[in-house]
Amino acid sequence: MMDNMKVKIESLSTGFLLKRGARKVLHQKLDSQLSAGELVCILGPNGAGKSTLLKTLLGFELPLEGKVFFNEQELKSISVKEMAQLVAVVLTDKIDDIYLTAHEIISIGRYPYGGFTGKLSVEDIAQIKRAESQVGISHLTENVFSKLSDGEKQKVMIARAIAQDTPFIFLDEPVAFIDAPSKIGIMQLLHQLVEDTGKGILMATHDLDSALNYADRIWLLGTNGEWDEGKPDELLNSGKINRFFDKENISFDIENKRFSWTGK
Amino acid sequence: MGGRLNNSFWYSLFTILLAILFLTNLWYGSVVIPWDDVLNSLFRSEDQSTYGIIVKQYRLPQAITAMITGMALSVAGLLLQTLFRNPLAGPSVLGISSGASFGVAIALLAGGGLGVSLLGSGGIFTGLIVIFAALLGALIVLLLILYASNHIGNIVTVLIIGIMIGYAVSALVGVLQFFSRAEELHAYVLWGLGSFSKTSLSQSVFLLIIGVVGILSSLLIIKPLNAVLLGEQYAKSVGVNTKRLQTIVIMISGFLIAITTAFTGPIAFIGLAVPHLARNFFQTSNHRILLPAIILMGGALTLLCNLIAKMPGYDTSLPINAVTSFIGAPIVIWVIIKRGRVKK
Repeated sequence: MMDNMKVKIESLSTGFLLKRGARKVLHQKLDSQLSAGELVCILGPNGAGKSTLLKTLLGFELPLEGKVFFNEQELKSISVKEMAQLVAVVLTDKIDDIYLTAHEIISIGRYPYGGFTGKLSVEDIAQIKRAESQVGISHLTENVFSKLSDGEKQKVMIARAIAQDTPFIFLDEPVAFIDAPSKIGIMQLLHQLVEDTGKGILMATHDLDSALNYADRIWLLGTNGEWDEGKPDELLNSGKINRFFDKENISFDIENKRFSWTGK
Repeated sequence: MGGRLNNSFWYSLFTILLAILFLTNLWYGSVVIPWDDVLNSLFRSEDQSTYGIIVKQYRLPQAITAMITGMALSVAGLLLQTLFRNPLAGPSVLGISSGASFGVAIALLAGGGLGVSLLGSGGIFTGLIVIFAALLGALIVLLLILYASNHIGNIVTVLIIGIMIGYAVSALVGVLQFFSRAEELHAYVLWGLGSFSKTSLSQSVFLLIIGVVGILSSLLIIKPLNAVLLGEQYAKSVGVNTKRLQTIVIMISGFLIAITTAFTGPIAFIGLAVPHLARNFFQTSNHRILLPAIILMGGALTLLCNLIAKMPGYDTSLPINAVTSFIGAPIVIWVIIKRGRVKK
């Protein structure tokens, strides 16, 4: 069933409405799609509008123009409830509760299913267990979430998204603020998830490493409204990565795959 | 502390504690009534002895009112703390108790200013007018807040509007106080100190019934309340209609605050402190565990405060607000300090 699932974007413009009808446009006329079974990264420098695009696709922000489709259904006509069975999210929002356990947080992923009492069914428990072992956190689910490390917290949030059992998962900067080994662990996990479950994963990131090494495709966003898309190698070899990321005296070195100082 | 091991054990214990405190409230007072007579007067409707009358006409309504008010305010406090994601949210933040005060101030003080003294017109009648005035004031503010909430999605804005309405209304009350006569002012101040002893038996039973309805309706939103603990966007992403939840929470908590305040006057700190006490005791934010705990603890703590207000060993009694504040404020301070330590 997941194979033919698609998120389609048609001449979408993202941005904000300002006072007195004025608009701040971030990107115009985006056309693209995300299919089941692929990992797509929205890549761009800070302030390019990655989160805005991601949140527009989720319906949290309104598009200035254009349309978003989930399968053939337009986003506007999809209810919050239906949406919860299409996309699960991992956001940058901080969870400030100090008592919830990892397990309780993951259980909230089962919210779209079951009645108002919130009592977990056998199916719910099975899905939660599976998500926990898929992410490799079965040993710490009884721990209090606020006491976990940042990497562990992120894994819990990913497990929560998996437990929601949706064809798509959208992640906003899932590897920011995480040390390098944990970062690779999480990217590997997302990659494996796409392989194993055929979910479509869309993640916004400013981390070139993660995007270049793990994405099937990259949507490249620039700070001045530029936009491009392609496979990581194409974007790299055509010099587009440089065009979007380089600053005065700082350039992305294609051979060593890292930024270096090119000034004096 | 409580811990997760066996919540039903703790529920049972708190239920027993609640029952003991309830009975102790019937037994203890300026006259200590033998236990036999307490039970007799409860279970024999034809009991017309002095003890029977004291228990049935004074202590029973007082205990019922104290218990249900404590439960209702604690539930309201929990719902508002979760909705606003703010540990200092409580029944006072919506401005509803200020609205009730305003209603009472108009009834007691403005009447006096116009030369129509309510106080002269007889006890029961005055009591009823005060209840209606408080209810009316509270419900008007509740409608204002609901209107604001529906037109302004932002929850922090709603919180600030609630607090500001509270201030504005207090200012108006201040003006009324300034122009009122000493007796009316005294009556108003007394109302503001809160009391569980103004209700008749039938009024207290009425309050009990509508209070229980309000409290039970909060059990219907346990699931979305838990989702909201992750923040508004996560809640939306799992299918919570956050705007509708906001309306429902304000309606339920506003209703609970309005009805109890109408009968008792504003009761400080219970609604703020009990949710913290329960979270800390059960070490959880899960509303499925918390709500029953808060209902039991809120009732028990308020009955305990009422008992303390009777000043065992002295001939006089204290205003209930003095006791709840004296007990509630340290609880809140203690929990907030502890919370700060956990975060680091």
